Amino acid sequence: MRKRRKQESSSLFPIKIDQFEKLLKSKFENNPDLSFSVYEHENKKAAVFYISYLVDLEKAEEFLLNLLLTMQKEWTNASIQNEIPLISGDATINKLEDILEKILLGTAFIYIEGEDSVVSYMMPNKEKRALTKAETESVVIGPQIAFTESLVTNLNVIRWSIRSTDLVMEKILLGKETIHEVRLIYLKSVANETDVNTMRERLKTLEVNSIDDSSVLAQYIEDSSASIFPQFYLTELPDRFAYTITQGRVGVIVENSPTAIIAPSTFLSFFESTEDLYMRWNTGSFLRILRFLSVFIAIFLTPMYVAAVTYHYEIIPSDLLISIGQSRAGVPFPPIFEALFLELMIELLREAGARLPTKVGQTIGIVGGVVVGTAAVQAGITSNILIIFITISALASFTAPSYLMGTTIRVLRFPMIILAGILGIVGIIFGICFLAIHLLKLTSLGRPYLTPIYPFQMKDLNKVLFRLPPNFQWRRFLSFQPKDTSRYDKTKAKKKKDIDE
Amino acid sequence: MDINVKAGPKTEIRAFYLFFIISSLQLGVGIMGAPSIVFMESKQDSWISVLIAFLIIVFILFIMLYILKQYENTDIFGIQADVFGQWLGKLLGTVYIIYFLAVLFSVVTTYIDVVRVFIFPEVSPFLLALLLMSLVTYSVLGGFRVIVGVCFLFFILTHWILFLLIEPALEIDWTHLQPVMGASITELFKGAKATVYTLLGFEILFFVYPFIKNKEKVKLPVILAVGWTTVIILITVITSIGFFSPDQLMRREWPVLNLFKIQTFSFIERLDFVVVAGWMMVIVPNIVILMWGITYGMKRLYQIPQKKTLYIVSILLVIASAFMDNHFQIYSFTDIVARSGFWVGYIYPLLLLPLVLLKKRWRRKKGRGKGV
Repeated sequence: MRKRRKQESSSLFPIKIDQFEKLLKSKFENNPDLSFSVYEHENKKAAVFYISYLVDLEKAEEFLLNLLLTMQKEWTNASIQNEIPLISGDATINKLEDILEKILLGTAFIYIEGEDSVVSYMMPNKEKRALTKAETESVVIGPQIAFTESLVTNLNVIRWSIRSTDLVMEKILLGKETIHEVRLIYLKSVANETDVNTMRERLKTLEVNSIDDSSVLAQYIEDSSASIFPQFYLTELPDRFAYTITQGRVGVIVENSPTAIIAPSTFLSFFESTEDLYMRWNTGSFLRILRFLSVFIAIFLTPMYVAAVTYHYEIIPSDLLISIGQSRAGVPFPPIFEALFLELMIELLREAGARLPTKVGQTIGIVGGVVVGTAAVQAGITSNILIIFITISALASFTAPSYLMGTTIRVLRFPMIILAGILGIVGIIFGICFLAIHLLKLTSLGRPYLTPIYPFQMKDLNKVLFRLPPNFQWRRFLSFQPKDTSRYDKTKAKKKKDIDE
Repeated sequence: MDINVKAGPKTEIRAFYLFFIISSLQLGVGIMGAPSIVFMESKQDSWISVLIAFLIIVFILFIMLYILKQYENTDIFGIQADVFGQWLGKLLGTVYIIYFLAVLFSVVTTYIDVVRVFIFPEVSPFLLALLLMSLVTYSVLGGFRVIVGVCFLFFILTHWILFLLIEPALEIDWTHLQPVMGASITELFKGAKATVYTLLGFEILFFVYPFIKNKEKVKLPVILAVGWTTVIILITVITSIGFFSPDQLMRREWPVLNLFKIQTFSFIERLDFVVVAGWMMVIVPNIVILMWGITYGMKRLYQIPQKKTLYIVSILLVIASAFMDNHFQIYSFTDIVARSGFWVGYIYPLLLLPLVLLKKRWRRKKGRGKGV
């Protein structure tokens, strides 16, 4: 569409109203939605046209048609703008392409025969849902609202959380067939310029027919599409978004998408929750370390069981070996099948629970988890102990605050179990090595994915691995090289007080 | 061939990472058997031998740094081309590459041997070699920064193994280490020479030097790296000598791995299995740097693309490993590598130093002659 505009730049007007109507109708062939009505007043003809459901009809009738038809003066562009003083009034549009573009954004037009442009009034009627609680990234304390599908609402929420003139929200239009508005958001006094430029470059050079959602956009502009790890954090929490923007990162929001993209993101940032910040520093640190631990449990607990029971029963102490042996005595399958079967069942339960309505989902969870689990053990298909391990690792995999990362972790378990079933501990270690090398190779917006672990940045560790009391947190996240490296003056925070007499 | 190397900002690293590069390369398969090898030569005074070896290496490192400082920004290939001329320089560079290849091969086969002895007697060496070389290929493809990252990350991820030595260390019989200075001076030096294979790896400094951003800070991380390796070897040597009786120690080829059997927890025991498998993470950075050295050298000397060398060498090594399934074959091969390593790593820098200085003096004279 944008290309076409360049080709036809001559003005359409003046034009006969009948002709104009025919032209417009031809553009909306077989579409009964275009409302085009012609009025006469003092020998002048005027056409009012819009798409009825895109325009706020009440407003259009009360402030546009009413005023237009009761006007005493002669109809000209100037007099109409004078008499109908809506803020969005604009009499500069004279090209068909512009009219078509605007009409799809909910604009009503008045064309007076003989004038060389149309008067447009933007009165869009955009249906949207109200702000609701976050569903996929729910938090216990802190702000509860989530982004919605409406870009305007999201911008409003962001502006209210970052009240600074430094906040830039660049508008970029994406898509060849259907256009989507995308906003590039950053703090110009803090954000690293290379990051902003890289992101802008990637957005502007992207050539696709349309963008379905911000998660799709993120996949288009990611550094490595082959990787299983998400390289941009997708959040639906405005407070998380605002927090990362003030840290100096770059954000992207897309029209019609309730999730925002945060870039660059590190591997460890996928395990940070905003709740860690709202908690006290020590409890926050505990929760964060718990989450890192849970990643290891989620990926390696079941494979370790498979490896130990298949090949290395020597490493299981004899007391434990007896109980494992007893529970496995009736199971006719090798451990790898047993484990894969149970993991698959858990995944089925999760997927079914996610697709079904909430109430039915709960019932299915109970039926699947409790009834089938107990029955499977009694029928001698699986062992008790493995059920315990599988359940723990499933629970652990759900602790990741990012749903994308949680899914990645759950998927990673399957190759790990297979490796453990083939080569025992050696296979598991091979898997760890491969993952570590893979993570080292990944980048996010051109920055290493594993910072601040590698490239090592000691001063940033208190932001990712654990937290320190506020008076030690005076630095920003240095690995991303923000323009401004300190959050507040450290001298005051470091001042020591003597004993009170 | 340019004598000086231009490293781009993408490949430059901080001097701090040298610590991890050198100690990752030094700590490999050698340390598994180091105590019994040293013990054969210098008995209860093995720890003194290790310290002597440390001092010798520090001395050689200073010489290497001194040689490197004579040039603007170069590696061993540039130096050799400058001192010996293009032809001889290329030949000596090829010797270095073949030496690296031999070390790489000996590390891979020794590790496969250990896995076969400890965990899977029946597993095919081909499969294990394939796993190892695929990891190496994957990381070398990432470029120099990823290779340094592998050293750094795996260094940190593997050092928990040291904690497993606490329990055997508590059961040391100190009388095994007495009397001190029972060995003669020649025995001590023989013991020091026995650690050659274990402590080799510092020669990588000749390769990575041009990639270091802050060259003024090179000394400390290098010395610390060798120091850290020495400390770890000292710990294993003293623990092994104290824990095993002399007869037991002589009979064991990898006494360090046997030490891990002692540690038990209520939920896991026989940690030697876990450690032998986990040793892969000690081996990987080791062979990754060696492989990088080979590909880098081939590019410097013969302008062969690094990818090409990488694929060819990896495939050849996997095939060759499949045929190395005889324990004594591997043992004697490692022995040859250790002996050649003594010449390449320890003696060669000593020979190179006077030549480099002569060349410099000759050049200065020539320059002055021209000026006058």
